[in-house]
Amino acid sequence: MMSKIIAWVDQRFPLTSFVKHELTEYPTPRNLSYWWGFGFLAGFVLVIQIVTGIFLAMHYKPDSKLAFDSIQHIMREVNYGWLIRYLHSTGASAFFAVIYTHMARTLYYGSYRRPRELLWWTGQGLLLLMMATAFMGYLLPWGQMSYWGAQVITSLFKATPVYGEQIVTWLRGGFTVDDPTLTRFFSLHYLFPFLIFGAVIVHLVALHTVRSSNPSGINLADKDNIPFHPYFTVKDLFGLGIFMIIYMLIVFFKPDFFIEAANNIPANPMQTPAHIVPEWYFLPFYAILRSVPDLAGGVVAMAISVLIFAAMPYLDRSRITGGARYRPVYRAMFYIFVINIFVLGYVGAHPPTGTLKTVGEISTMIYFMTFLLLPFISRWEEKFVLAKGLPPAVEEMARKEIAEAEGNV
Amino acid sequence: MSKNKLFGLFVCLILTGQAHADQAQLQRGAHVAVEVCNGCHTLKYIKYSDFFKLGFTKKDVDAMRGDKPLDSPLLSQMDPQSELSMFGIVPPDLSLMAKAREGGAHYIYEMITGFYTDSKGQTANRVFPGIKMPDILMVSQADAAGKQAIDAKAKDVSAFLEWASDPQAEERITLGKYVIGYFVVLTVLLYFLKKKIWKRLG
Amino acid sequence: MSEETMNEGADLSRREFLGTVTAGVAAAGVAAACVPFVSSMNPSSDVLAKATAEIDISGIAPGEEKTFPWQGKPVFVVHRTPEEIKAMESSNGGKDPEADAKRVQKPEWLVVIGICTHLGCVPNKTSSGWLCPCHGSVYDNSGRIISGPAPKNLHIPPYHFVAENKILIGKA
Repeated sequence: MMSKIIAWVDQRFPLTSFVKHELTEYPTPRNLSYWWGFGFLAGFVLVIQIVTGIFLAMHYKPDSKLAFDSIQHIMREVNYGWLIRYLHSTGASAFFAVIYTHMARTLYYGSYRRPRELLWWTGQGLLLLMMATAFMGYLLPWGQMSYWGAQVITSLFKATPVYGEQIVTWLRGGFTVDDPTLTRFFSLHYLFPFLIFGAVIVHLVALHTVRSSNPSGINLADKDNIPFHPYFTVKDLFGLGIFMIIYMLIVFFKPDFFIEAANNIPANPMQTPAHIVPEWYFLPFYAILRSVPDLAGGVVAMAISVLIFAAMPYLDRSRITGGARYRPVYRAMFYIFVINIFVLGYVGAHPPTGTLKTVGEISTMIYFMTFLLLPFISRWEEKFVLAKGLPPAVEEMARKEIAEAEGNV
Repeated sequence: MSKNKLFGLFVCLILTGQAHADQAQLQRGAHVAVEVCNGCHTLKYIKYSDFFKLGFTKKDVDAMRGDKPLDSPLLSQMDPQSELSMFGIVPPDLSLMAKAREGGAHYIYEMITGFYTDSKGQTANRVFPGIKMPDILMVSQADAAGKQAIDAKAKDVSAFLEWASDPQAEERITLGKYVIGYFVVLTVLLYFLKKKIWKRLG
Repeated sequence: MSEETMNEGADLSRREFLGTVTAGVAAAGVAAACVPFVSSMNPSSDVLAKATAEIDISGIAPGEEKTFPWQGKPVFVVHRTPEEIKAMESSNGGKDPEADAKRVQKPEWLVVIGICTHLGCVPNKTSSGWLCPCHGSVYDNSGRIISGPAPKNLHIPPYHFVAENKILIGKA
């Protein structure tokens, strides 16, 4: 019976061949480590967020007079409302944790390199959409942090030349963040996840065109590719199991870990809390914003700090593949960059006074210097590494690419 | 395998680390909240009927609610306008207070027992300078024995307010243990399945 | 059969068994995960708290009808006069015959859900009962269908007298 239905569909739609080609028999490098499982995890968290979000929207009221109470209604009166809400609020943090790890893997192994630029850029687009979605979602509980976070971030658009004030007012639908802001943020917070979903499909199409990178950096011979199913389905699912244990430990035992205390106080437009901080996933960028003493300068620096990742395929001019694996200097830069991100995060979470202010400024410099020095360091490192010797396959690829480039010049 | 053991240990540590107040303490705290706090503070997310969850009988709850309906929230005994003229502010809602302050129940305990008489003979608060709330438990005037009784009362009411801010905590923790247990089992199964399947590749 | 292939066969079946168990556990988990989501669409506790309504009927004079909301639905409470009681007790209704005594707890008080059993409109009170404005169903003073398209008599909600003049609707 089932096979008859499938045969009927296959005559009209390439179902079986699609599943075979893109999923079950999809050739995947056998040497992919667990670091390659974070893309799958991100997709899974996206589904969790969409499903929990749809159910929360059945009970949530996007009205400045009702929003805060409706959250408490969900937490106390809706059957398992607390569970759905905690899955969603913790899921936001989980999403960023997974995506940042996914990005770190890409940076470490140089997976952004030719021919994966478009794959990397669609990922960048996804990150921006995610940030916007998270930011708008954070306003919805209408607590003090929600309110003042939205107030501060929308104010950043004041830095726009000439039309700054108008744009801020337009974004808010009022002179401050208020009811119109809340309703439009709700509307867009519901819309964006579906845009993300669509962008994920584009991301996957790009991935399946250029295929997965792998830790060795070289293109594997056919014999080193294995079908995605069952090898990577089971590997990814095991990774998912580990992820779910950690996620559920937070949801059930430390659910308020990612919720600021001040967000349990209803929004009060007349009084700013003593210390406002964004969610942890925005902290490094927030620290960069604050480290520049000028409003417009800070906004531009923050925007560049997010967008600059897109330039990586061009900033990294080394022809040695495999990312940090065969490149000691790049590896060192990667670790410095990651540690520096954590330093920025720490600075962003604390009031910018005294030493911390200086630390923030230095960290901001390091952040941008890493990118700016990369073109020069990567070329210098290339010569140094080639002279020192590489695995034959990697060296061959690098020399070929160098020869091609020089031939073109 | 050692990785899995490590996880098991981690899970056990977290699960046993969850201490919660006993029902008798919550009941004592509820009485303090209704008889003392509720004089000025509202607990808008707590209804009289919620007290049944603390093991109170219908008679206990009827005594606490007087002529108010069972599903009425614990509104302040004073109206907000007279509170404003008396204290200069409307006393904040208490039903989420334990979540709305860093430190939760411990902060509340420190705050209500933090009153003392300063060098000018004025009542002040260690934790919250400039507080507008009076020293309702009379901490600043109590002797050693009195202080002990007040201390117990403060602990009870803090525990109650923590419950009030998160009445689902117990249900959550119970369910959580099953959920974690489930995922540990599933993950161990997946681990062995993965090993088995990958063995084929040699 | 060589030992090696035998081992391989045993290995294969063990893998299949492990795979089946894992898939079963995973499927059970997915099913269990649906429970909170489905359950969240059921009435929340504050809605359930309104599942019963206590109503005061002391103000309804004989011959009068009053409508009370219960679970968002109109409930008609009629204080019937002795004549009306007599007339109703002597009849057995129309197409859905039922004795009046089975439809009331106290003859002078008729309590019915004010929703036409045809397509859910709210009938209007007339001197002899109700007339549904949507499709003309006629009910008598016992809420029984007399004529028109409605198939059933007006439903009786579960209720009981908690005092002489107080009814609790929603619980028999």
